[in-house]
Amino acid sequence: MIIEFRDCIRLFGISVIVCLAVFVCTIFLNYNLDITAAEEQIAPEGRVIYEALVMTGKAVAAVSGGCLAATSLVMLLGYIRSFIDARAKELGVLKALGYSAPAISRRFLVFGAAVLAGAVPGLFFAYCYMPAFYARQNETGLLPDIRIRFHPELSAALTLLPAALFALLSMLYALSLLKKPPLQLLGKTGESRPAPRRRTGTDRPFLKELKRSTLRDQKLFAFLIGFSAFCFSSMTQMSMSMKDLSSESFSGMILTIGLLLAFLTLFLSLTGVVKANSKPIAMLKVFGYSRAECSRAILGCYRPVALAGFALGSVYQYVLLRLTVTCIFADYEGIPEFQFSLRALSISLAAFIPVYELIMHGYAGQISRMSPKSIMLE
Amino acid sequence: MIEIKNIVKSYGTRKNKFQILKNISAEISGGDFVVILGASGSGKSTFLNVISGLERPDSGTVHYGSTDITALSDAELTAFRRETVGFIFQQYYLLPNMTVEKNVRMGADLSGNRDYLSIIDAVGLHDRRKKYPSELSGGEQQRVAVARALAKRPKVLFLDEPTGALDEETGRQVLDYICRLQKEYGFTIVMVTHNANIAEMANTVFKMNSGRIENIYRNETQKNAYEIGW
Repeated sequence: MIIEFRDCIRLFGISVIVCLAVFVCTIFLNYNLDITAAEEQIAPEGRVIYEALVMTGKAVAAVSGGCLAATSLVMLLGYIRSFIDARAKELGVLKALGYSAPAISRRFLVFGAAVLAGAVPGLFFAYCYMPAFYARQNETGLLPDIRIRFHPELSAALTLLPAALFALLSMLYALSLLKKPPLQLLGKTGESRPAPRRRTGTDRPFLKELKRSTLRDQKLFAFLIGFSAFCFSSMTQMSMSMKDLSSESFSGMILTIGLLLAFLTLFLSLTGVVKANSKPIAMLKVFGYSRAECSRAILGCYRPVALAGFALGSVYQYVLLRLTVTCIFADYEGIPEFQFSLRALSISLAAFIPVYELIMHGYAGQISRMSPKSIMLE
Repeated sequence: MIEIKNIVKSYGTRKNKFQILKNISAEISGGDFVVILGASGSGKSTFLNVISGLERPDSGTVHYGSTDITALSDAELTAFRRETVGFIFQQYYLLPNMTVEKNVRMGADLSGNRDYLSIIDAVGLHDRRKKYPSELSGGEQQRVAVARALAKRPKVLFLDEPTGALDEETGRQVLDYICRLQKEYGFTIVMVTHNANIAEMANTVFKMNSGRIENIYRNETQKNAYEIGW
């Protein structure tokens, strides 16, 4: 059995991310479809606000929904890859026992189920929230009542399509891995881990060298951790800056979703880091390295990456919002230029640093609780 | 001197509790070469883990001089392992993304040993010191593990089936390196094995069966790695 119960908890994380992405995308895309269909009923005095709403709706859907969907896609693909890579030995055993590659890779279709399990509630919650959202969009009363319509093609595109896509991608990735001979998957031959080309420095202390090599050899985790900081930074600052572009409730929604996404990414990637490094950690502990030394070497190397991700997220949200505002209000005169908010940056950074350090502290505790013997028996 | 008194260790929960070590007592003198001999499931590896501070017993004490390691906190136990013991395992457990030299520095940096290159030379890996574990044979990897353990200058070296994954020739070679280094550095060796021939290299043998020490005997003469059968 490749997918165990504890994996279901992590798959639940994937479902939550998909749920959020589908929730946001459904609301805005559905609203856009409905408001476009009601164009003929718009009175001349409501025309300006109608156009502004359609454009804002499209922009916000593109910025938040699109950003969220892209974030989820990148994160899920990264997670699926690390999940399957971590099971290379099990794949090797099954292959050695005579199971065919398609039979083994079919087990990873479960990722499609996890995506569907998140997408369906996301769709459901979106339709539940829609009446309030529609009412808020027409607070001025200048638009006719927009009737909420169910769009089967939209629902299918946001639920069945991603589920099928992720199921297929997972299966294809597993199949590509299964092209390797069983012994290579089992790690019994040197080929599975080619010798690094870069040679290590002679005089660098061991722990510093370990820090560097952990970062160098686990680029995917570094990317995911940087990405979670990126999400945190961009979504929190975007939600504060978006108050002028849309309603407060919408900013709150973006903030909640951004934080959830950032924490889930961080949780999934740090769990992966600790799991992937369990054997080196066990050996460090056996040799008498302290908890602080172990966590500094294994987790500390990601701190600069997280800060770089945070900085990149700040730039990204500013560029994105500035471009959006410039496009929406291109035809309007006297609209001030969108400015970078130092206040939003300060608040976001002040929240990020203690939260990040707290989470790292939690994982350092997890490292100290790891029993060397149980790891060596694995 | 290591003084082991009334060690009891069990695994499992209440219903399926299984006693692995049944009230074991023994003594190991400084500079001894002790072999813990026994069949699979006799409890020898668990015994080694308990006396080396890798696992805590359910009851009983393990004294290193005046220090009872069973009463130490986790941080104190880590400090004890850092200062006192070295480990060599059957499966080497080298860090795959580090060169031979860096793997040995893992041990050397703990004791501030700047002369780790001489230990690499002593195990015959001078020419291989820039290689990665995946570029080495099993015997060479185990020699790296030996050098790594000795680079931290342990007072007691614990070995759990160090030749279990090696062929006869390589196994003899590794044991020979360990014995020669013991004569040079004077540390105590506690080795777990199921191979009765290897026990002939020790001066003291603890023969274990079903969680008890069945017999303790001393060899009148210690054979070297090339004199024993395999």
